[in-house]
Amino acid sequence: MGNRERVMETLTREQIFYDVRHLLDELKGDWDYEDEITHDTRLFADLGFESIDAVALAAAIEEHYQRHLPFAEYLADLVQQEVPDITVDDIVSFTFAHLGAPCTMEGVQR
Amino acid sequence: MLIGIDGATFDILDPLMDQGIMPVLQGMIDGGVRAQLDSVVPPLTPPAWVTLMTGRSPGHHGVLDFFTPSAPGSRHLRTLTSHHVTAEYLWQIASRAGCTVTALNYPYMTPPRPLNGYSLSGWIPWRHLRRGSYPAELFDEIKGLLGFGAHDMGMDLKIEAKCIDGCDPAEYLDWIDLHLRRERNWMDTLRYLRQKDPTDFIAVLFDGTDKLQHLCWRHVDPAYAASLSPADQQIHKRSLELYRQLDGFIAEIIAMAGPSATVVIASDHGFGPTVETFYLNAWLHAHGYLAWAENPPTDEAGEGRIGLEALSRLSFMLDWSRTTAHAVTSSSNGIRIRVRREPGDGGIAPEEYDGFRARLADELLGWEDPATGTPVVTRVWRREEIFDGPHLAEAPDLTLRLRDYGFASILNSDRLVRPRPYVMGTHRPDGVFVACGPGLRRGHRVEGSLSLLDVAPLLLYALDIPVPADLERPVPAQLFEPAWLEQHPVKVGAPTEPVRPLQSAARSTEDLEGEQEVLERLRALGYVE
Repeated sequence: MGNRERVMETLTREQIFYDVRHLLDELKGDWDYEDEITHDTRLFADLGFESIDAVALAAAIEEHYQRHLPFAEYLADLVQQEVPDITVDDIVSFTFAHLGAPCTMEGVQR
Repeated sequence: MLIGIDGATFDILDPLMDQGIMPVLQGMIDGGVRAQLDSVVPPLTPPAWVTLMTGRSPGHHGVLDFFTPSAPGSRHLRTLTSHHVTAEYLWQIASRAGCTVTALNYPYMTPPRPLNGYSLSGWIPWRHLRRGSYPAELFDEIKGLLGFGAHDMGMDLKIEAKCIDGCDPAEYLDWIDLHLRRERNWMDTLRYLRQKDPTDFIAVLFDGTDKLQHLCWRHVDPAYAASLSPADQQIHKRSLELYRQLDGFIAEIIAMAGPSATVVIASDHGFGPTVETFYLNAWLHAHGYLAWAENPPTDEAGEGRIGLEALSRLSFMLDWSRTTAHAVTSSSNGIRIRVRREPGDGGIAPEEYDGFRARLADELLGWEDPATGTPVVTRVWRREEIFDGPHLAEAPDLTLRLRDYGFASILNSDRLVRPRPYVMGTHRPDGVFVACGPGLRRGHRVEGSLSLLDVAPLLLYALDIPVPADLERPVPAQLFEPAWLEQHPVKVGAPTEPVRPLQSAARSTEDLEGEQEVLERLRALGYVE
């Protein structure tokens, strides 16, 4: 079994969603946001993010998985294409796509 | 005790001390040492503070700007975290030596590094401030006990941008009040921690001075006093409150420290007026080095904007196939030269690099502002003249100093130099250093200057910790009484511990397909045209 298959076996989309939701759950009390974080939660419209908050969330995800991910390219593309908002699921999909590369669960914070 | 005062300059502090607004600082200078503190090149907050915090220069610690390429050779920029700092912080060194430490509001302490004490990071968006707390439960303690507002302590980019790009005159007083409140929140945090668990070493940073001096330079520099309108006078008076409050904090911190402690005040860079905006990318375009893409961001209103908001669009602003050199960010005053990597790519051939770079530097230095007939660019450094170490390749190929020390704009403009609508403040290389404590000379003014690199070894020596052999400067012995040095010789210790950066996630073909899937889904949702 290759590295990629090993990760796909252990790091599923749902696991990434769980991790991202956990990161947001830890912080949302400081923003007085009381609703549940779901796949469809919008970072800007629902959570009140500014662009720098999306960058900070990206950094938190990188820290969690102990890997640099090309969020800068992703977010710059979204800005350029005037995408009005990003959902939690968009972030999960992006992370899943990139953590499918050789990466073991070693170092991932639990 | 280390008190960081962002952007502090004797050009402002001396008149304030003369007017009796900062008597405690005056007393500290009278009973201690005063020096000009040379910043890094360029004198920019992130590399400067991290140099002080590590005793290593930017090419070694890895923080060269507010932003860094997201990957080697990438056109995209990303912000930095503590993972980008490849050197130990002095409070880590002190921790390893058995000292207890408290470090508050210094940049790039998120995610936190384990310490024998407490840290709360500065320079982090307020919604994420909790993530900069060490230990993690510290944030809730402070939040619960002080009832503080995370919004008042963390970074809000919209508010930060006002100090560079200006704001409506009606907003000035509220904006100053926010910074008064922010400083009080950090002081409250320090007070709480000091009461709860007094640590051997405390480092706290107050950054309101930098923000205030950017936006309100004309309100604080006595040179402009005669030209202030009645409304400006009100802003002037409120501005002075920030310095008065700071002086009170210094008094309290000196009292906290007690007579046996060393207290050091340091700034990351100095400050001075900026009166114009130089549009560096527009200049490169006009001189055949840069081609704009369709509809590049332009300073249409001629407000002297430097383009903070355009950074995320940088990679789309240019026609890369016809660009050989471009300004990277509005903060670094740096130029990157595109060197061809593969046959058929854009950029110059590798063998042309030295000659191309020298010609570009000469052209910049020789160019004269048509309005004044004088050069705008007063100094150009080649990368290797100001950086060395493992991060050398990440630095811009050229770094410029402008005649008013201002930040160059990355925006397009029909004029290459434009006077600002009003005088603002900008960074200068000469910061401040003041210190008092056991063994330090009294009433001593240092001939010449000190370097930011001198601060870490000085503080470690004051804590009686062996100074790691790989710090770049020795303890500045000239600050101490000779008899003290004889009785307390400097100890040199083992080098600092290596700091491992995060690895990059490899991007396979499947990964890129996955990214495409995300974009396709956004298209399906109508987000992407």
